[in-house]
Amino acid sequence: MAVYRIRHLTHYRYQEAVTVCHNLAHLIPRDSPGHTWTQVELDITPDASRTTRLDCFGNRTTVFTIDEPHLELRVESRSVVDLAPPRTSALFPTSPWEAVANLLRGKPEDEWLAAAEFRFRSPHVDWTEEIRRWALQSFPPGRPIAEAALDLAGRVCTEFRFVSGSTNVSTQVAEVFERRTGVCQDFAHLTIAALRSVGLSARYVSGYLVTQPPPGGSRLIGADASHAWISVYVPEYGWMDIDPTNHLWPLEAHITVAWGRDFSDVSPLRGVILGGGKHEVTVGVDVIPADAEFDERSEAP
Amino acid sequence: MTTDHISIGHTDLSNRARSLFSHYSPAAAVPDEMIGRDGGVRDHWRTLVRLLDELGPVELEKRWATARRLIHENGVTYNVYGDPDGMDRPWVLDALPLVFSAQEWAGLSDGLIQRARVLDMALADIYGPQRLLKDAIIPPDVIFPNPGYLRPLVGARPADHRRLHMVATDIGRCPDGSFCVLADRTQAPSGTGYALENRIVVSRAIPEIFRDCHVSRLATFFRSVRNLLQAAAPHNRDNPRVVLLTPGPYNETYFEHAYLAQYLGYTLVEGADLTVRDNHVYMKMLGGLQPVDVIFRRQDDGYCDPLELMPDSTLGIPGLVQAVHAGNVAVVNALGSGLMESPALGAFLPRMCRYLLGEELKLPSVTSYWCGDEESLRYVLDHLPQMLIKPAFNTPRQGPMSMESLSAGQLDDWRQRIAADPAQFVAEEQISLSTAPVIIGNRIEARHIAFRAHLAAAGESYDVMPGGLARFSISTESMIVSMQRGGGSKDTWVLSGGPVDSFSLLSPPGLPMEISRAGGDLSSRVADNLFWLGRYIERAEAIVRLSRGIVGRLVDQNFESSTELPVLLEALSRQAQIDRAGEHGKVGEMEMEDILFAPTLAYGLQATLRSVYTTASLVRDRMSIDTWRIINRIDSDFSAGDLRDRRLSDRLASLDKLMISFAAFAGLAMESMSRGLAWRFLDIGRRIERSAAMVQLCRTSLCGSEPPPPNALEAVLEVADSAITYRRRYMTSLQVPLVADLLLADETNPRSLAFQLARLQEHVAQLPGNQHEARLTPVQQILLLRLTELRLMEFNTLPAIAAKESCLQSRLDSILVDIFQISDLLSRRYLTHAAPGRSIGASASTR
Repeated sequence: MAVYRIRHLTHYRYQEAVTVCHNLAHLIPRDSPGHTWTQVELDITPDASRTTRLDCFGNRTTVFTIDEPHLELRVESRSVVDLAPPRTSALFPTSPWEAVANLLRGKPEDEWLAAAEFRFRSPHVDWTEEIRRWALQSFPPGRPIAEAALDLAGRVCTEFRFVSGSTNVSTQVAEVFERRTGVCQDFAHLTIAALRSVGLSARYVSGYLVTQPPPGGSRLIGADASHAWISVYVPEYGWMDIDPTNHLWPLEAHITVAWGRDFSDVSPLRGVILGGGKHEVTVGVDVIPADAEFDERSEAP
Repeated sequence: MTTDHISIGHTDLSNRARSLFSHYSPAAAVPDEMIGRDGGVRDHWRTLVRLLDELGPVELEKRWATARRLIHENGVTYNVYGDPDGMDRPWVLDALPLVFSAQEWAGLSDGLIQRARVLDMALADIYGPQRLLKDAIIPPDVIFPNPGYLRPLVGARPADHRRLHMVATDIGRCPDGSFCVLADRTQAPSGTGYALENRIVVSRAIPEIFRDCHVSRLATFFRSVRNLLQAAAPHNRDNPRVVLLTPGPYNETYFEHAYLAQYLGYTLVEGADLTVRDNHVYMKMLGGLQPVDVIFRRQDDGYCDPLELMPDSTLGIPGLVQAVHAGNVAVVNALGSGLMESPALGAFLPRMCRYLLGEELKLPSVTSYWCGDEESLRYVLDHLPQMLIKPAFNTPRQGPMSMESLSAGQLDDWRQRIAADPAQFVAEEQISLSTAPVIIGNRIEARHIAFRAHLAAAGESYDVMPGGLARFSISTESMIVSMQRGGGSKDTWVLSGGPVDSFSLLSPPGLPMEISRAGGDLSSRVADNLFWLGRYIERAEAIVRLSRGIVGRLVDQNFESSTELPVLLEALSRQAQIDRAGEHGKVGEMEMEDILFAPTLAYGLQATLRSVYTTASLVRDRMSIDTWRIINRIDSDFSAGDLRDRRLSDRLASLDKLMISFAAFAGLAMESMSRGLAWRFLDIGRRIERSAAMVQLCRTSLCGSEPPPPNALEAVLEVADSAITYRRRYMTSLQVPLVADLLLADETNPRSLAFQLARLQEHVAQLPGNQHEARLTPVQQILLLRLTELRLMEFNTLPAIAAKESCLQSRLDSILVDIFQISDLLSRRYLTHAAPGRSIGASASTR
């Protein structure tokens, strides 16, 4: 059992005053298995009245408006999470992947219907025949789905290079596939595209990594910022989270905030502004043990 | 009786030579609406045919000529995308209506109502419990990847439990004589306004025939529309504020939006007129935010909220989706209802009807197959040449593809395309539509027809408009019935089984109306556009005045030796914001050319005239026909291509013409606009621009280190339109202090700076929020200070330039700063919220 304190700060600075802004945030964590949340707070400066509702995936969506002129917007989410250890740490026997694909195409039961939502193309998850053929190398006939998905994630991790800043929020999967570089978000989108291209259901998970690794472990890529990984539907297990950026399973240091078809369903903060001119944005994430204190001077560069 | 000739009633044979329809011979392959299988006129057409024959072709032609003029004068248009000849296409209406018997219409209405109920229930289910998916009535493949399925709306519950308030159904008659549905329009159906306009035109052209045929009236339908909009309001159900949301003048059916708003008595708004605060929707008025209860939208789903739907939409209202979730506003039809327009879902309608209503679908669609189903796919691939292929989900402006006349190779290509991703395609059986008589030139010919029926929610059910918009194909061969692709429209007459309800929404002439005076509130967006229209037109006028002064002098002077040209040229370069690189006197014809003709020069004449036209288009609904004609003339008077290589005298004549158009515009504004806020903002824009131009002119001409030569002063007076006044007052003695006084401080001179500031003072005092204030606003303070300063100014002793603060030049400089400050302050107070927002942090596109 591990308890962490989380701080996620997004800071916009504008060249000219913004007269009105309307924003949509996925910063208040959703309910998810193994997570017990306490002391969840969302601070917005300048102050704004906000409304939070559940979206169709069960995420908490917060909408807020600021209608006084402002040169800066600070949105800080703070919370404490009690993280249960993963349900299992050994690979379990699973159905052949084709059986799962067939199941998903068949008459939907309640649970499979939820999974069906995640087997189609979505704004950031598109694939070509070439990507499908590449994906199939991990899916020889009859291979158990969990094993195949982990093998695929491993190939994403080894065949692609993590290059910070090499892509932006609108980079498409085909471009990442071609260039062989990307960031965690791209690797998640690519892995999801590969899984969906062979008929499986996969979703995009957005969240945080524990900043300081447990003793003996090494620091993971994606700490200090929002992280993204994937979850694949495995009938014997439910949803199985895999981190293709770090080639990790099971996930012990991953804290789930929201999930959706892809980034567009769960972007942490987006908005429509009036005025503002050019803007700069900085994002900082700290995840520390509950008994430690944040270094208040630090704000991500 | 033979099929070569048409029999009309019982006495038809003897009359047939004189009948309008004696040569009408529809093809036998498909049914004709007027002529039965036996070759005789169908019963329900007989009265119409008899009465038309009594009227006679000559009289009909005469009446119809008047009707066509009425259509033109009413400005009925249909905008055609990508039409190089300008976007407004005049409305094509045929004099002959399409006629339905009361009995046939009753059966059709039954089917239409059932369809609308199924579509509404299906929407409620898909955005709610999704039993249709769980019970495998429809596969997830037609919902989850469907761009019409708007996830942010899942779980939203409209206050009136309805998502589909207005439905339009395109209907055709199949070869077997039965009706079938070609398409359902479920998000923002168009056509009711055009149907109404068609009815008004036809019933005025042939009033006695219309009366004697006992045609059902349309007005009761619009009463239902008003009732349903009122009933949809989540709050203030007694007197809700309803607005009609339009994407704007560039939309194909903008005419109808403006027409319906006026007819139903609602405010026409664009997305930029609305804003969301604390989950409530407001209209941005100069006097402040006014709550909105119901949005009757004519804008597609995705464009309605850039925050949650399409981030790149500039037409939307950020936060609208959340306001809907909070239950504070009704959107009609509900956001997300466009889903039911997808062809893929249409294929499942019979199953949905059985499941949701426990009934068989009474009014079927054209048989269609969603290729994502394996069995359907096999059938479609085997029968491809008979099919019409459509994208399974709505793709904007991607029409259906007929496979009928394709070569074997082309068919193979299509088979491969479909097989590669079958779920993306829907195939429909091609059907042949029935024909009806249409007047083409001086003949009556058969054209294929389809018509659009309209339904409005009423209680638990729907009211069907007794009539609708009938459309006909461009030729006998063509089966395409579309206003986008040519063809025309018809009024649809449903004969009344009983007495005709003569209810009308238009007030009878005798009825006393409540008196309403100018001074009502105005939307910030409209005020903003009028303010800029005032500024642009005055800016253009300033350039033309200066240019005319220069061109007139070039006839007998040249740049090198003239004493007044340098002054005018410098003033012109300042006006057009050109940095003069050369020294005094070096300004040449090149710069002059650029100012008049370069389209890219931001403050040049061409760009300014362009801005006049575009800004005016945005407030076209506020302009009289005469005013719009002047705007059109300004736009066409001075296009660069015509004048670039012309002689000076031609240029001069064109500049003169332009001046006269400006004067006509100003005159109409002065004489014909009521003195409300619209007029004030137009005039504020004009006064601000004129103040700035006058200060610039005086600063350039009167503040040199040496006194300007007399002929330069004369030229300045001429450009400032004050030469006659000056001459009358001071005879011929030209002195700087006298000129300065007349142009800057003389409040009786309508061109002087003081005159402009005094007008601004009057306007500002009347703006919302200023009338009852004890303290002066910052704008009022500036105006009072500057006006007092001008009144106290002693031009005789004021040095033109000096090191000290008190010289004319430095005074003018600081006045200029203040003028722009006034503009900024007014914009910030009243107009800033008018601009569309932009998305940040969002994904660049959505599917």
